Amino acid sequence: MAEQDDLALSLEAHRKYLQRYAQFHLRDASLAEDAVQDTLMAALAQRDRFEGRSQLRTWLTGILKHKIIDITRSRGRGLPADAVSLGEDSESFSDSFNAKGQWVDPPADWGMPDEALESNQFWLVYQECCKRMSRRDAMVFSMREVMGLSSEEICKKIEITTTNLHVILFRARLSLRSCMNKNWFGTDHE
Amino acid sequence: MSKLMYSCEQAAKLSSQAMEQPLAPTERILLGMHLMMCKGCTGFVQQIEFLRRASRKIPEVLEKYGD
Repeated sequence: MAEQDDLALSLEAHRKYLQRYAQFHLRDASLAEDAVQDTLMAALAQRDRFEGRSQLRTWLTGILKHKIIDITRSRGRGLPADAVSLGEDSESFSDSFNAKGQWVDPPADWGMPDEALESNQFWLVYQECCKRMSRRDAMVFSMREVMGLSSEEICKKIEITTTNLHVILFRARLSLRSCMNKNWFGTDHE
Repeated sequence: MSKLMYSCEQAAKLSSQAMEQPLAPTERILLGMHLMMCKGCTGFVQQIEFLRRASRKIPEVLEKYGD
């Protein structure tokens, strides 16, 4: 019983982090809370599987990823994608390319971009830029780039084809790079 | 001849795709040819690779700014 309480206490210590992680992906505080609650319940129920094999936070985050994807799927938050916006026609990319397929505004050299990773402000801009994508694009992008899931896994989980996945990720990358260019790399900042 | 030359849009699309799965040999060669001559697309490749490095750090960032 005491051991049970210990685990419950340790789990509580990670709640805030899990909430932020869930909110980053779900963009909704109460959905994020649901995901975190489900995660903590699941963790208590599956406590035997933990066995201290990994960091508690890593283990919890692993469970949380699945809960986030489940919630995204079950609440129908734009997944799977509607057919229209998935068209492979170049129109979806017309912000970036003209009719001949040339860059409207060719990507410039960002110099030593990794220095920005140390700046708090950079991360605020990054998160704002993610919010400018459609929910679905942002979710697929972060499943791939933040959660680090494989393309196969993503396609299976949210039932899209590989071609769809490539279109979404391409569109997401174009949007994010353009937004970061306008709001960070192309501007003066501390 | 023009079929042998990718547009920037095609080159950028394939560069993005290459981050998920290996390209076919022909695609790789044609993309390499385009990138050799195109500063914009080379910039794009560097930018999306940077954005991947940045995105992988998000969990760390969420950890840092909070508890």
